[in-house]
Amino acid sequence: MRIVISSHPKLLNILRGVVRYRAQEAGFPESDVDWLTMAIDEAATNVIRHGYKNSHEGKIALSIQAFPDRMEFILEDSAPKVSPEAVKPRPLEEIRPGGLGTFFIHSFMDSCCFDEHFDAGNRLIMVKYLPRKVSSDDESTSQKN
Amino acid sequence: MKVQVRKIDSVSILDCSGDVDLYSSPDLREKLLGEMKSGAPNVLINMSGVTYIDSSGIATLVEGLQLSREKKTHFGLFGLRTNARSVLELARLHKVFALFENEKDALEKISSVQPFGGL
Repeated sequence: MRIVISSHPKLLNILRGVVRYRAQEAGFPESDVDWLTMAIDEAATNVIRHGYKNSHEGKIALSIQAFPDRMEFILEDSAPKVSPEAVKPRPLEEIRPGGLGTFFIHSFMDSCCFDEHFDAGNRLIMVKYLPRKVSSDDESTSQKN
Repeated sequence: MKVQVRKIDSVSILDCSGDVDLYSSPDLREKLLGEMKSGAPNVLINMSGVTYIDSSGIATLVEGLQLSREKKTHFGLFGLRTNARSVLELARLHKVFALFENEKDALEKISSVQPFGGL
């Protein structure tokens, strides 16, 4: 599925609602659903603040794909190209406002990277794997050990 | 999100409810910093109604903490739900803020909070 919103912070709750619904549907445990929702919200917040410089005129597109073992989130915008260096997480030892959004994204997502070949703006690809289910085979193996 | 300010003796309490995100955190910031700048000696945020907080909300709380240090006043949070507490823990800020279980506990101890935030 793909959802497109204007770069208005008022619309972030719509994005959160969609991510939450799809993550629950995919089978993520509730605590993971909270973190996933936050990670996507932080990525979109970064687009609004740093990409569009708080202008409400831009567009943000979120594509969500569910696979048996993972979910992929692709966030696209048409803001000026962001240098990956500029959105690196900051050290937590520094107690100051700001700079935590990227840290939260990297803390929760299994992978997170910009598509360097996307020319129309920025494309951030984020992947989260579902927790591995313990099968009866695994249980019998662990009992033998 | 809604923020309402009330006073109990020398303590200003900001009752905050709903989602604190990029859209709503400026309102919390304005009320929190406004209360501190007006000379309130003790400021508490009631987080029991906060259903979600993102990095912009956390940044607002850190700004409040920094201003309380500057002014050598007391600042704390109470009633955090599990998700808000987890966010503070992940950012390693749970030991930086003075956190209280509930309003009664916060009112009893707020004046013991050191300017650096801890108890």
